[in-house]
Amino acid sequence: MRRSSVSIVLALVCVALELGAIEAADPPSLTVFAAADLTFAFKELAPRFEKATGARVTLVFGSTGNFAQQIRQGGPADVFFAADQSFVDALSAEGVLLPETRTLYAQGRIVLATAKAFGPKLTDLRSLLNPQVRHVAIANPVHAPYGRAAEQALRKAGLWEALRPKLVFGENIRHTLQFVQTGAAEAGIVALSVANVPEVEWVTIDAASHAPLDQAAAVVRKSPRPELGLAFIQFVNGPEGRQIMKRYGFMLPGEF
Amino acid sequence: MDSFPIWLSLRVALSATALTLLTGVPTAWLLARKRFSGRNLLEAVVVLPLVLPPTVLGYYLLLVIGYRGPVGRGLAAMGLELAFTPGAAVLAAWIGSIALVIKSAQAGFETVDGQLEQAARTLGRSEWSVFWSVTLPLAWRAVLAGTVLAFCRALGEFGITLMVAGNIPGRTQTLPLAIYDRVQANQMGEANALALVAVGIVVVLLFGLSRLARLRY
Repeated sequence: MRRSSVSIVLALVCVALELGAIEAADPPSLTVFAAADLTFAFKELAPRFEKATGARVTLVFGSTGNFAQQIRQGGPADVFFAADQSFVDALSAEGVLLPETRTLYAQGRIVLATAKAFGPKLTDLRSLLNPQVRHVAIANPVHAPYGRAAEQALRKAGLWEALRPKLVFGENIRHTLQFVQTGAAEAGIVALSVANVPEVEWVTIDAASHAPLDQAAAVVRKSPRPELGLAFIQFVNGPEGRQIMKRYGFMLPGEF
Repeated sequence: MDSFPIWLSLRVALSATALTLLTGVPTAWLLARKRFSGRNLLEAVVVLPLVLPPTVLGYYLLLVIGYRGPVGRGLAAMGLELAFTPGAAVLAAWIGSIALVIKSAQAGFETVDGQLEQAARTLGRSEWSVFWSVTLPLAWRAVLAGTVLAFCRALGEFGITLMVAGNIPGRTQTLPLAIYDRVQANQMGEANALALVAVGIVVVLLFGLSRLARLRY
């Protein structure tokens, strides 16, 4: 009994340690932490960068706020594409990002999105007051940049207080879009960059109705390959990259 | 379909479950059998991971094991890195699931008649031997039930893992993270396939264990 009990414990120790054997696939040469709204554009763009440079790119999509925390704690990113420049500026000030690599890559636009399942496309923010629109999805204005812009636009139109009971908050802009895509919310305010999906119709909202959504990227100071990271940022803003970015609604001033 | 997340998740969940047994069973035994100062505090601390939202827990954990955190700095001094590695995913799954083993095993140990253990001691058995030949065999089903719950929780762990291991494809992207990622990218076909795999793993496991549970220790 004594021997078998010892062997059970030893077996458990072995299994627990087995993890040391998990081999990561060959180390990616460039890891990009990118805001969730860049998913579609970067999935198209990254293979072209790989082809042009021969480098391998690992794309990680998620919430800008989470990424900021992770990069602060040594997260293995080489480049950070934030949905809001304030995060890039804060991390640069802390010395986590290389300030000289900071680059504006887009100014975000918001659109009024209607679920096709709901019916006729809404063309005016005021039509959200229509009682048939029971839920209006926006990104959480407390931490999501597009949510903040949506709140500003609704306030400017004098609709914020009246619409408040109908609002549902998405965690990020893709999540917000899903509320509309599934028809769970009849309408919503989402980013132009994610709005081109079959289940949704949209019209742009005047850019003057909210503070500019400046989106910036920068290279991480800890990155062992800063030149490659900078090359990726330059590729995004280069002729080939801009063409894709524009198609997904990531415009720079002068491109609107 | 990319199978990396499936294998990673299986290995992470197995490792985490082994770690959970190694740490959770002795803790459960302590809580069930010993009276010591700080016992009530320990009892509260072990259920904390069930109370705190996983992403919040993940954030605090990241502050501890991250590059600038106290543990992270210590590890870095030894040339080791835990945050954003598969090891961090194991840590996340372990923290997320340990309460399930502890509470279940503790309840099991508490129902074991202390007089039987006492009898074994009078026959000259050591404490170690009493545990393995009396206490554990009598509480084995409760321990197994807790272990199954812990494995399932470890396999499905999302929030803590997202924060401390990241969601890095081919490195730390576990099955739940991969499913989430596919849904976010509107790749519903792949998301559904991966979700089906996750369900399949658990069904096979539970079926196997329900047969095992009929066996005697």
